[in-house]
Amino acid sequence: MTARAPAPHPVITFIVRRLIATVFLLIVVSMITFAIFFLLPRLAGQTTRGLASQYIGRNPTPAAVHAIEQQLGLDAPLPVQYGRFLRGIVLGEHFNAGTSKAYCPPPCFGYSFKNQQPVWPMMVSGLPVTISLAAGAAILWLVGGVAIGVISALRRGTLFDRFSMGVALAGVSLPIFFTGLIALELFSYKWPIFPNVQFVPFTQNPLLWARNLVLPWIVLAFLYAALYARLTRAGMLETMSEDYIRTARAKGLPERTVIFKHGLRAALTPIVTIFGMDIGLLLGGAILTEVTFSLHGLGLFTVEAIQNQDLPEILGVTLLAAFFIVIANLVVDVLYAVVDPRVRR
Amino acid sequence: MRTRKTIGLAAIGAAAALALAACGGSGGSGGSGGGGGTATKASFNAGVTHVVNPSNHKGGTLNFASSSGIPDSADPGNTYYAQMWNLTRLYAMPLMTYASCPGPCGLKVVPDLATGPGVVSNNGLTWTYHIQPNVHFEDGTLVTSQDVKYAVERTFDRSKFPLGPGYYPSLLAPQNATCAKAMAAGKTTGCYPGPYVDRSKNLMGLNAVQTPNSTTVVFHLAKPFADFNYVTAIPQSAPVPPNKDTGANYQLHPISTGPYMFQSYQINKQLTMVPNPHWNPATDPNAKQLPSKIVLTFNVNPNDVDNRLLAGDIQVDLPGTGVQAAARTKILTSNSLKAQSDNPVSGFEWFMTLNNKVPPMNNIHCRMAVEYAANKTNNQTAYGGPYAGGTIGSTAAPPNVVGQKHFDLYEATTKSQGDLTKAKQQLQACGHPNGFSTGITYRSDRPKEVSVAQAMQAALARVGIKLTLHGFPTASYTSNFAGVPNYVHSHDLGITVYGWAPDWPDGYGEFYYIADGAAISPVGNTNLGELNDPLVNSLLGKFATENSATVRNSYTSQIDMQIMKDAAFLPIVYAKALLYRPSNLTNVYVQPFYGMYNYAVLGLK
Amino acid sequence: MAAPLDVAPSGDVAPEAMLSGISAKAIEGRSLGQIAWLRLRRDKVAMAGGAVVIFLILVAIFGPFLVQNPDIYHANLINPTLSRPNGPFGGISVAHPFGVEPVTGRDVLSRIVNGARVSLLIAFLATALAVSIGVVMGIIAGYVGGWVDGVIARSMDVFLAFPLLVFAIALVGVIPSSAFGLSGNSLRIGLLVFVIGFFAWPYMGRIIRGQTLSLREREFVDAARSIGARGPYILFRELLPNLVAPILVYSTLLIPTNILFEAALSYLGVGIIPPTPSWGGMISDAVNSGFYSIDPMYMIIPGLAIFITVMAFNLFGDGLRDALDPRSSR
Repeated sequence: MTARAPAPHPVITFIVRRLIATVFLLIVVSMITFAIFFLLPRLAGQTTRGLASQYIGRNPTPAAVHAIEQQLGLDAPLPVQYGRFLRGIVLGEHFNAGTSKAYCPPPCFGYSFKNQQPVWPMMVSGLPVTISLAAGAAILWLVGGVAIGVISALRRGTLFDRFSMGVALAGVSLPIFFTGLIALELFSYKWPIFPNVQFVPFTQNPLLWARNLVLPWIVLAFLYAALYARLTRAGMLETMSEDYIRTARAKGLPERTVIFKHGLRAALTPIVTIFGMDIGLLLGGAILTEVTFSLHGLGLFTVEAIQNQDLPEILGVTLLAAFFIVIANLVVDVLYAVVDPRVRR
Repeated sequence: MRTRKTIGLAAIGAAAALALAACGGSGGSGGSGGGGGTATKASFNAGVTHVVNPSNHKGGTLNFASSSGIPDSADPGNTYYAQMWNLTRLYAMPLMTYASCPGPCGLKVVPDLATGPGVVSNNGLTWTYHIQPNVHFEDGTLVTSQDVKYAVERTFDRSKFPLGPGYYPSLLAPQNATCAKAMAAGKTTGCYPGPYVDRSKNLMGLNAVQTPNSTTVVFHLAKPFADFNYVTAIPQSAPVPPNKDTGANYQLHPISTGPYMFQSYQINKQLTMVPNPHWNPATDPNAKQLPSKIVLTFNVNPNDVDNRLLAGDIQVDLPGTGVQAAARTKILTSNSLKAQSDNPVSGFEWFMTLNNKVPPMNNIHCRMAVEYAANKTNNQTAYGGPYAGGTIGSTAAPPNVVGQKHFDLYEATTKSQGDLTKAKQQLQACGHPNGFSTGITYRSDRPKEVSVAQAMQAALARVGIKLTLHGFPTASYTSNFAGVPNYVHSHDLGITVYGWAPDWPDGYGEFYYIADGAAISPVGNTNLGELNDPLVNSLLGKFATENSATVRNSYTSQIDMQIMKDAAFLPIVYAKALLYRPSNLTNVYVQPFYGMYNYAVLGLK
Repeated sequence: MAAPLDVAPSGDVAPEAMLSGISAKAIEGRSLGQIAWLRLRRDKVAMAGGAVVIFLILVAIFGPFLVQNPDIYHANLINPTLSRPNGPFGGISVAHPFGVEPVTGRDVLSRIVNGARVSLLIAFLATALAVSIGVVMGIIAGYVGGWVDGVIARSMDVFLAFPLLVFAIALVGVIPSSAFGLSGNSLRIGLLVFVIGFFAWPYMGRIIRGQTLSLREREFVDAARSIGARGPYILFRELLPNLVAPILVYSTLLIPTNILFEAALSYLGVGIIPPTPSWGGMISDAVNSGFYSIDPMYMIIPGLAIFITVMAFNLFGDGLRDALDPRSSR
């Protein structure tokens, strides 16, 4: 017996490698984001002075502008500002609130230029809404989309197939805000089946939580369900014509087993990848849905941040969104590595 | 639309007397403060002149909603919006306030925390206020003059409180000789830096405000400023206990001196207020404590705000700028709904400035041509018509400025489609008989301004004046574009769409920032037409030392007339808002200075 | 927004291409096109979609010359008190077949037609940008391989990590209204094209990289190499023609995504600057003014315009894909 340490499990190595790559990726993304929001406007002719004066009331005096520049840290060179930003995320930040130094624990995404409050808690307070919206919609579209896709594939050419594929095509062709507005107008105002749509925390009243989210869920899920139905159908049609399916049938396996055990499983693999990516990208869809339904989630927070030109908020929410995407991709990759040994190169 | 209570600083003014005339609010009416007019049954515009549903019934939850968040800050020291000046009276008592009564009476300032209006010294440089000896904060501590002084000191820290008005730092006597020199050069070196930077922290280091005893506050001014009672009516003078001040975080829980106090506040989401147990109605006749809870919900879809309002789920739309188009149609086409609505002037005037420096508009006849050629009806329609937009304006000041008089130099109300013959005559006189080209600026994120710019483009084209449209975002409108004269000159921007509501309702508050030559500044300019008329300048200067209300009012109308003679302003509308009052709301009436319902006295049936 | 082109590449070009040798390539290419065209012609739905697409393009190019000025106010058609159009269905009449806008009375038809121009212009330019960058990067990554591939693949990861919509609205929000020597709508259109195109290229890049990787190993490329053909020759004469089909298909499918994207940006108020009409902006106007609930046509008409356009492109793109790649048949 030699004392050689056992080689770590290949999946572990893979995960560790991917994690390191992910951290690196996030740093690059944060750099680019920072450069785009702080450097690009400057290249485009924005001055620190002009920027600072946006966060002052009427008639900014030069002295007030200067005070604000200092308070917001705009007077420092950009690399220093970026360094502060990064350090805040890792180590937290001390902020001069006046009476005392307020400590903003990591991850500290800085303080809003507009209301001088830490950005991170504001984003976190929007998370339950966005997660509620995303989770419900995701379940709806995944189940609905895949089911419709499978049935359509199996009943290819029938009325059901044509109809559902027609609706699916409409679904991917309709702007989400348009569907949302129509739904809101019809089912909340005209026939108040879901009146007074506003977010109620799940912990406070699960029933009301669900009732008030039904419309946004359906609207958000409609777009994706349509996409997934089309993809599932195409995938199923392709797999069902594969040789091994024919073999399985020839072996005399029951049709149900053939469809679910062999056909669907293969057809679903790409769907899972796409699902992972879509979940990461969902903030985009959430913005439009939340704006349309006035839900106070991350999406509405983003739009408010942009209306107020509140750079720390914009930076924070962009990075958080990037974080979701990267993590979703990581999870998909890891799942693949666990399932399919060939991926662990 | 979110409209800003814009206004500027002010300089000098008179009339201690003017504000303090007797009115329901001052002193006497005790718990029933606010009952200025006589009660009346609900009918259209009843709330403009009378208290609708007067009642002292307690209980219920009063719900406000807004399509945005609190526009700047809930900290009384850091806010510049009419809706917030109105709302803060629920939790803050400034030295002075506007009388709680409908009609012209509500334009008067009356003592709130103070026992009487400020007393000015003979040289006009010292203002003395005595505060009520028995007002308490929500935690039971007694309010002293030091708390008022501390509140004033805070406003000197522009880095923590950049959003509120900057009157105290500019009006009060400089901290020392270094500061006096620096201020003359537009700097603040050596000046009082606010309580956080001041080394004698919490030791009341501001020299210009003295507290000889616990109920007396003395303000030392750099120059006479007769309008000082208006300045102390801004919520910034509401007391702040130094040991409870949390600086930039004070907005999350201002320590209340009013009938309500914060229970919870999530920025941009919800604010809940509950009755303040240490509030004494006898000390605060301008407010009432009727609902058992007040909830403000923010960032509700604008159309949804109206639907909830009409359905009775909420009682008040916080910004007070009126309902959206859909609700307007519902209200105006139903007699019963219309009887529950009011259509007051909001205090804003929307207007365009015609630039004095941009050729060929530097020629008065070219400006007059624009005045005559504009289609005032279409301009009014662009702002939403007579109910949602307002009444067609013909003067530079809106009617709820004390002293404003009606006149109409350019047939705005008599030939509201425009007078093309006269426009062409003026073009002839200006040497451009076939018209000329110039630019119009407006805030591209405000649909009404976009519409009016286009309406102007179409109207002026009738006499050959070509307008190019230049829209800019509100956030940088005065800081980078329309308020930067160099930019305006180099881009030939002859017409600027703008709006204004005074910080206080007299000629000085109305005109100093938008018409005094001294207010023209290279960046962040608010005198957008760059008017520098000696007569206007000198009349505005006289406000500082003039004490007679009659004379001051005559100045106001003279300035107004002169501005219009210069064809420096092209009035659009005296803004109006269509407000809806649900039937279960009590003590409802329009506070004329804020141009919306008086939030300090509302109750529920 | 769904990720544009989530559709995994089908990993293969049409079987016809496999048969092709170098000498027969030109002929094969043409016959591939002919075969695809024959298939496409049989697909009535796709042909209908194609016809609508062509119609829309014609409308976008010539329409604005045929309709009235979209910026003219018709105050006489508006109720001065309620600001809404006189007459039912948003003031639909012979002179204004799609009605007029509330408040201004501008003709909706002419705004829709002019909006088509803006919408399609942005969608086409953004697609062209995304496709050009994606194709170049994809081919280089796939063909050169090694560390070049590594760098390009990583940078695609970086780009794909950006939340496109969040990023787009934020960026348009922070850029001053005149910058880089541009201002107004030319700046805005430039920005939109840049943001959409620059952050969407990795989708195309990944597809092309995959295709190139598989083509690189094909016999005909080997054959070309063995007779001494050099990199650029192989890239442009051997690989590119075989990539035309996927490029065409995915471009056609990227256009509708970009149309939706532009509409979403305009809806959020960071798209085209008024008064220049855009479909998303019209919906946004209808919503922000609250008019959509009393004058539904104000919102429905631009909504339908977006819907029909996107649907037509999708139908045509699907048909095109089926025609060029029979394996992905419906």
